[in-house]
Amino acid sequence: MMPVLNRTLLLTTCLLPALIGQSGLTQEMIMNSTAPKYSDEQINFFESKIRPALVKHCYKCHSEDGDKIKGGLLLDTREMSLVGGDTGPAVVPGDLDESLLYAAILYTDSDLEMPPKYKLDDGVIADFRTWIEMGAPDPRERKSKSGAPAEYTNTIDIEAGRDHWAYQLPSASSEPSPEAGSWSLNEIDTFIAKGRETAGLTAAGDANPLTLVRRLYFDLIGLPPGQEEVEAFVAGYGADPKTTIAKTVDTLLAKEQFGERWGRHWLDVARYGESSGKEINATFPHAWRYRDYVIDAFNADKPFDEFVQEQIAGDLLEAESPEEKAEHLIATSFLAIGTKGLNEVNSRQFRFDLADEQLDTTSQAFLATTVACARCHDHKFDPIPMGDYYSMAGIFLSSETLYGTAEALQSRRTTELVSLPATSKAGTETKSLGEMIEMTYQMTLIEERLTELTDKARDLRQSGDADGARAMLNQILRARNQVGIQEQLIKSYDDDGNPIAFTMGVQDRDEPFDSQILIRGEESNPTEERAPRGFLQVIQTNNQSAIGTHESGRRQLAEWITSPENPLTARVYANRVWGWLIGEGLVTSVDNFGTTGEKPSHPELLDYLALTLIDSSWSTKDLIREIVTSRTYRMSSNYDETQFEKDPENRLLWRANRKRLDAESLRDATLAVSQHLDLSRPEGSMVSQVGDGFVGRNIQETQLNTPSNHRSVYLPIVRGLVPESLSLFDFSDPSLLSGKREVTTVPSQALYLMNSDFAINSAQAMAEYLVKEQKLKGPELAKAAFYLCYSRPPTQEEGIHTRAYIERFLEVAKAENLSVEKSRYMALTTFCQSLISSAEFRYLN
Amino acid sequence: MNAFNPQAFSRRVALKTSSCGFGYLAFSALAAAAKEAELNPLAPRTPHFAPKAKRIIFLSMQGGPSHVDTFDHKPLLNRDSGKEAKGFAKLLGSPFEFNQHGESGLPISELFPQLANHADDLCLINSMHTDLPNHPQAQTMMHTGNFQFVRPSLGAWTLYGLGTENDSLPGFVTLAPPNGAQNYGSAFLPAIYQGTPIGKQARNRFVAADQQAAISNIKNPQMTSEMQRVQLDFIKSLNEAKLKRDEFHPEVEGIIESYELAFRMQDEVPEVLDISRESEATKKLYGLENNTTAGFGRQCLSARRMAEAGVRFIQINHGNWDHHNNLRDSLTRNCNEIDQPIAGLLRDLKDRDMLKDTLVMWAGEFGRTPHAQGTNGRDHNNQGYSMWMAGGGVKGGLRYGATDDHGHKAVLDKVHIHDWHATILHLLGLNHEKLTYRYAGRDFRLTDVHGEIVKGILA
Repeated sequence: MMPVLNRTLLLTTCLLPALIGQSGLTQEMIMNSTAPKYSDEQINFFESKIRPALVKHCYKCHSEDGDKIKGGLLLDTREMSLVGGDTGPAVVPGDLDESLLYAAILYTDSDLEMPPKYKLDDGVIADFRTWIEMGAPDPRERKSKSGAPAEYTNTIDIEAGRDHWAYQLPSASSEPSPEAGSWSLNEIDTFIAKGRETAGLTAAGDANPLTLVRRLYFDLIGLPPGQEEVEAFVAGYGADPKTTIAKTVDTLLAKEQFGERWGRHWLDVARYGESSGKEINATFPHAWRYRDYVIDAFNADKPFDEFVQEQIAGDLLEAESPEEKAEHLIATSFLAIGTKGLNEVNSRQFRFDLADEQLDTTSQAFLATTVACARCHDHKFDPIPMGDYYSMAGIFLSSETLYGTAEALQSRRTTELVSLPATSKAGTETKSLGEMIEMTYQMTLIEERLTELTDKARDLRQSGDADGARAMLNQILRARNQVGIQEQLIKSYDDDGNPIAFTMGVQDRDEPFDSQILIRGEESNPTEERAPRGFLQVIQTNNQSAIGTHESGRRQLAEWITSPENPLTARVYANRVWGWLIGEGLVTSVDNFGTTGEKPSHPELLDYLALTLIDSSWSTKDLIREIVTSRTYRMSSNYDETQFEKDPENRLLWRANRKRLDAESLRDATLAVSQHLDLSRPEGSMVSQVGDGFVGRNIQETQLNTPSNHRSVYLPIVRGLVPESLSLFDFSDPSLLSGKREVTTVPSQALYLMNSDFAINSAQAMAEYLVKEQKLKGPELAKAAFYLCYSRPPTQEEGIHTRAYIERFLEVAKAENLSVEKSRYMALTTFCQSLISSAEFRYLN
Repeated sequence: MNAFNPQAFSRRVALKTSSCGFGYLAFSALAAAAKEAELNPLAPRTPHFAPKAKRIIFLSMQGGPSHVDTFDHKPLLNRDSGKEAKGFAKLLGSPFEFNQHGESGLPISELFPQLANHADDLCLINSMHTDLPNHPQAQTMMHTGNFQFVRPSLGAWTLYGLGTENDSLPGFVTLAPPNGAQNYGSAFLPAIYQGTPIGKQARNRFVAADQQAAISNIKNPQMTSEMQRVQLDFIKSLNEAKLKRDEFHPEVEGIIESYELAFRMQDEVPEVLDISRESEATKKLYGLENNTTAGFGRQCLSARRMAEAGVRFIQINHGNWDHHNNLRDSLTRNCNEIDQPIAGLLRDLKDRDMLKDTLVMWAGEFGRTPHAQGTNGRDHNNQGYSMWMAGGGVKGGLRYGATDDHGHKAVLDKVHIHDWHATILHLLGLNHEKLTYRYAGRDFRLTDVHGEIVKGILA
């Protein structure tokens, strides 16, 4: 049992995982170095003294062919001994102090004793000492699986691949501007009308203004219009539809709530989450800064090309002020907030997996291209050879991803964070002197306890009581975890108790390098060939500048992506915006423009939108404005059997799509009608309040998902623990990039609206508002309630149903012996709840 | 409060009483049910021909379980382990031993010691193949028969074809599903046919076992069910008014039906999911006393209870089968988690005489390569893999089809996903070419224009 105890401590204590570059030797230097020339004498020494000792005492756990590779450390090649394992390089030639292998065999540090079961003879230890001091001569070369170096051959014809529609530059078509008096109001409409006419379809009429105002409010700010706003719109629309729509759109685009609505769309694409997910699920207490950055970017109408550049390479961009610098640094959280297997034993594997996740997200988010499919073999469907994958992977491998997280048992992959300029807000409150002292004191206590426990276990072990020592393991591990969490807490305050502002993000490594191509994507199976850092060959732009040897290439990657000659970026984004407004993308597979994706329903329109986007300096608001002021957007969603038979999925837009509100809008609208909605932005997030830790272990769901009246975009998005109010209504999985939500209708949603505290409390608040604040009763109250929920008065039939409902409910309540007062209260609150629960509340026509 | 309520006299009650022998009561209730069938899309329907299986329990493994280490014994793979294979990585023999079990002598890996006791009930299909070796597409293919377009799932088709026997429970339940609602979706079929997810996904191992088969908000804290019925009638009137205005709006129909079902579920679901009244012996049978098996065991036991209560299609999910590395330990762990519960489920169904008309199926979206990935892993393999079925009209103790010497490609009696789907529908008494739904001017079917019934496995 002892070895387990020892190893666990070794993995989790002492040094921070040595990042490549910190040990003086860089990955690049190691990987590129060929075996130095050694003298025969040196080689003899290695072969006679060192190799046999390594084989005998170390290979069982630290070789490719061993039972298990422990601590991520391989000692069977020179190269891997220098790279080292999770805790740092095993051997640093000539430097005994830095060589962890030597420290371990000395058996002086109880956390670091190797081999675990016994101490080596003094003679062997002396041999290792001599060997390291003489420069650790080591003739062992990296093995290749098959003996000969593996080779990679490209099987893809890039030139032929360029024929696919999405790789050809968008072209302006000669569609004439709409004539006065025709159905079309702007260019968008001429394309839509043409598609419809070709298929023999006719357009639905315009939606009525009540429907339209609701559509605009939900689509642009994710909230229902108030009664006054509805009335003003209806009045204005009667006189001048065009101006009224234009004015309303401008008002909505200028609201803070616009960024909250549209930022959330982007957060789906950015697979935003506030924890690492997977098995360890460590919290990301600083992720919220990225959330706020995205919201602010949409509100400021940050040009989309800049938005992209900042997210990929913000740390490398010029900034004119500390505030702008902070913004740029925060933007790179995009690359750091993905899911991570923090328990990965093999550090090289972890780095490749991390780069893969970044590459996958980047290429799908901006290019709707599944580059990550080419990690193990040439892409099976798209013209992307493996070489392209590793060209791009090299860019991410040459960047250091800083995401924090607390150290603990199995959480082996903690990193530092990026500190922000002093002007940035921190997201937690200042600690008093007393609290600071308490925090440090707690740390001392926890550390003392850990020492006490380890000493005790050690004593037990030495006295031969293995079972006793084993029994203490859990206690020790718990104490160890507490140390990690407390350390992280202390680090986040300065000496005066002011919280230090950190962000997640990326930085260039000191020594960037090109990635080897890995056969079948296996980190242990590299070819000799390195893929020069670069992009996809299938897309050539004129602005491709060379990547210097001392930079990762992220800046160039961002330039390549945002080049007007990149045929994908503008199309992909314009298609996303179209889909978020219209309900379905022109290309329905919004995250896949490859050959397995769908073709655009209106290719010319897509090109027009892409070119318009670029021409308007990549303004999202301009693009939205153009779409929502079109006739197409204004259509009614009315059913028509003849049209439906021809085009049931409405691909050619003979009417407006009926849209189910997404989870956030549904929750926010419920809060809005209950008058509970708090439109302020909370400082940080519940996750930053709770701080570092591990979900399901020291952090429980009840701590995170506390009741909140803030907009849904501000709820904690912890992977695996998305609040029920969102997850039940098809919120996107925060572990996966997703440009499109699913729509399900299942009884668990009905149960939520019938029985949850949230639904009941909201309905009560709405009823109290109508009675106490609006001083309404009877039909006037019912009318106001309908207006609040549906932006329209009740129909006559609904009025009758409402009256009947109240009477019927009172009867039943009487039969249940409820007091008159209670019965009336419940009749009213359940009436409000019914309005919120109905289909109309959830569907936009 | 206790006044007689005709609506409470559901088909469920009728069926319960009929099985107790009150035939005449049941008769009148069933006659009423038949009338209702025209109106109720979930009412039981007569299949095309006499079914062998009345319900399905689908044990869905996510990630692509390795067939050559579980149900496809490949002695030549072990012999050639370490040899180069042209264009592929070295072959990797299975680190697990296979032994023959039962009278049939089915070879089953040592990873399934308990399940192996049921060898004579298992119908192994060793010659499965599917179109793509990517998880999302292959999962969607397995569940809907199409990875390109949004199509109804197998469970939705089943429910559409047969209705359900208990109108107080969803006819199609998926327990603790992973993400990907399309895999239990109804696509263009009416929304009421989509699967109802119950419980939290267990991908995160910190989800407690009892949450993996639980449903929230099942009771209103303030209203009696009579009061709530009045409220739901009002909601219904609002929704019907909207439906009338919208003329054609399947999602609104779905919402109306989901409220009705939700209302009935409030009584029925807690009872079905309450396993506390099961005997200690039964709990042990499913491995509930053991931390390793408790999570999946609870799902299996819930599945049996639902099957008993008349749910038509029950899917149980288990994840983390994507063993690119650490095959030995991770595969062992996974199999340890499911072996006892599945064996318990089969035993229990048999003891209750339900296995004969319950089709139990175990499958992942594809298998894994006989070639090594690293030193201790396998890559995705869609060209040949294994699944098994038991009960409901399939031959037990059968090893059907085969892969090549090493388990790479299916070569003998190949079974494609479409064939598998066609066979499942056949066992349910449905002709896969006749089970169609008209949409967009075309008759759609689960098997598109494909699918051959695998006659060799029919009992």
